[in-house]
Amino acid sequence: MNDEMEEIIQEFITEAEESLDRIEPRFVELEQKGQDTNLINDIFRSMHTIKGAAGFLGFQLIVDVAHAAENIMKKLRDNEISLSKSLMDVILESIDMLRLLLIHIKEKDGVEENVAPLVQELGKALKAAMSNLNNKEQAGISVKPDIRAEQSSKASKESESISPESASEKPLNKVNVAESAKVTENAQETSKSSQITQIAEELSQIPEIAKTTINDSIKNSESTQAATDGEQKPNEMIQAAKDNVQKAQNLRVDVNRIDKVMDLAGEVVLVRNRLLNISNYFDMKYTDDQMTEILMEAVSFLDRITSDMQIAVMKMRMQPIQKVLSKFPRLVRDISASVNKDVELQIFGEGTEVDKTVIEHIGDPMTHILRNSIDHAIEPAEERIAKGKPSKGKIVINTYQRGTQIVVEITDDGKGMDLNKLKKKAIEKGLLTEEEAQKMSDKDAIDIIFMPGFSTKEVATELSGRGVGMDVVKTNISLLNGYVEVSTEKDVGTTFKISIPLTLAIIQALMVEVNGVKYAIPLSPIEETLKVSKKDINNITGQNVIVIRDNICPLFDLSSILGFGSNGNNDDLDFKYLIVISMGDRRFCIAVDKLVGQEEVVIKTLNGMDTTSSFVLGATITGDGKVVFILDVTGMSRNLMELTRA
Amino acid sequence: MSDFKMKILVVDDFSTMRRIVKNLLKQLGYENIEEAEDGAQAYSKLKNGGYGFVVSDWNMPNMDGLDLLKKVRSDPELKDLPILMVTAEAEKEKVITAIQAGVNNYIVKPFTGEVLKEKMDKIFERLAAQKQ
Repeated sequence: MNDEMEEIIQEFITEAEESLDRIEPRFVELEQKGQDTNLINDIFRSMHTIKGAAGFLGFQLIVDVAHAAENIMKKLRDNEISLSKSLMDVILESIDMLRLLLIHIKEKDGVEENVAPLVQELGKALKAAMSNLNNKEQAGISVKPDIRAEQSSKASKESESISPESASEKPLNKVNVAESAKVTENAQETSKSSQITQIAEELSQIPEIAKTTINDSIKNSESTQAATDGEQKPNEMIQAAKDNVQKAQNLRVDVNRIDKVMDLAGEVVLVRNRLLNISNYFDMKYTDDQMTEILMEAVSFLDRITSDMQIAVMKMRMQPIQKVLSKFPRLVRDISASVNKDVELQIFGEGTEVDKTVIEHIGDPMTHILRNSIDHAIEPAEERIAKGKPSKGKIVINTYQRGTQIVVEITDDGKGMDLNKLKKKAIEKGLLTEEEAQKMSDKDAIDIIFMPGFSTKEVATELSGRGVGMDVVKTNISLLNGYVEVSTEKDVGTTFKISIPLTLAIIQALMVEVNGVKYAIPLSPIEETLKVSKKDINNITGQNVIVIRDNICPLFDLSSILGFGSNGNNDDLDFKYLIVISMGDRRFCIAVDKLVGQEEVVIKTLNGMDTTSSFVLGATITGDGKVVFILDVTGMSRNLMELTRA
Repeated sequence: MSDFKMKILVVDDFSTMRRIVKNLLKQLGYENIEEAEDGAQAYSKLKNGGYGFVVSDWNMPNMDGLDLLKKVRSDPELKDLPILMVTAEAEKEKVITAIQAGVNNYIVKPFTGEVLKEKMDKIFERLAAQKQ
């Protein structure tokens, strides 16, 4: 029983946190849209539900806070008060408090927050809002029903002019009526059924109008915009209803269990690779044996199934990136308010699915970029107006999948980076010498912001509570095997483009050989492989380079990168194999002795090894049963580029 | 006497709440409990038949408890199905609406297993009396 209770509490925490995550961006939406019944209802319901469940579990503090906040939402919903910034602030504060209380429960730290001041404040805010309204005219409120009545009577008039279709043939329910009426009122607004039902009730109270009449009238009058929309909307609603049914079939599973399956799937991939190898051997040796054919068939079936299983398992770990993005509207609102700027956030592609690990680690770097953009990039309103820009700043987050990569772009319409200023600051901080700054390309100059120690302010993020600089952005993202590119244009804005591989556990790799040892190189950053004659390799100021289709590309020996020194035994060969790596806009070549082939590898982390300085990402077991190191090309690129710069 | 094999539907949009109610019902001895996320889903489950009792939350997206109640009462196949409505204290005034719509009883959050049992017993006693 105790375990059961413990599980219920865990579930409550997760579910309550999810609810808060979900409603938080709705507040910001509410602020933009104004008194939107739909949004208010949604927030109200979540508060209400959290309160209800907390009551059962004896979390009185949560009940108190949620109750006070719910009261306000209820008055808002019933149009008894109107929305104001101070009201919004105090409700948002209560959300923060709820989160804090949930954390205390989760960590079982026994800390008792004093919620009384907040509850009082909520009460006061409500009172203030009520008295505010009393002073105002009632006009604003009384108008609404009038509009609706008008709408309905208009609808009924329309119905007279159109021959009624048999209502029994396809009886639309009253929800559709309400929806259509709502569409007339505001065509762009998508509304939820709870509100629809509410309006439907209001409509049904208008006695003269038979529901079906409105229905048919709107359904039939295809000439009007309202009708067209009205017909589409029910379909969407059916879809939404279907989605809901689907949602019910979701299962909450402990992440460890999924990871276990993931691990096992990885092992199966390895065994599959081995079997492929073995069966190829038999195929060559006993080509005519009938059993060989049967073996080949079975193995190729296993091959296909394993690939499918791998994708299925990978998908189990995938979650919509919305989970991370949903906290940003609030964040942007709060930060911009704190620096007195007006910034609008637009989010696209929140449905893009990414690996769970990405969800966990991409939030902090993104927060940091956003903070930086609002703080430094977006100009104050006067300055923007003087430049002929809209006074309100804009930040766009766009997420999409490109090939095997997930791309997250954060674009602001601020002042852009001043590269000379960046260089100057870096010199002042002793991060660069004058000479280095002179030689530096524009691309490299932008990257100054990622240098450790460059960030002007050590800002403690409210969310994480840690003080981090922009260098952390880069580190965090390279932990995910990803990279950041920055493009900037003066007075137009700056774009941070983060690219991360879709999956982190199983990757396609190119197997290469150096000094008789095999290594795996992740395939995604490899642009191409080349076989070049030695005489095509030039040396410019101590750096080997090669010209590939009129582009100069620096070249490194894998053997020397890994610290074996240049491999003498192969020097007598007059050609080399080159792997062209492209990371963001950096390109370089790695020279190896042999290209072995492509293989699907499962990354196994190596414990107790400094993976950053050794350029080893992890290890894998290959088809022939050997342990092979997987090389960290991201780390290599960072390091090698610094070498060329120095 | 309560029939512990009776199929009961617990309707709530918050899965923790469903679990809490389910847990209380199990403590009372009921074994055959199913869940639904909102009124719409509940209704389609009920239409499949076999349910002897419904415990429904009021405030839910898509179709709320009151609409579910109305829909069940107007459905000739389901109209006699006993429904217990779960409400929060603040909604007490709305209870009248629910009674008018034909709810069998209501229960205020948070409640204990005993209170739930009491309410259920009352409902079944009354139903038995009506039959006689």
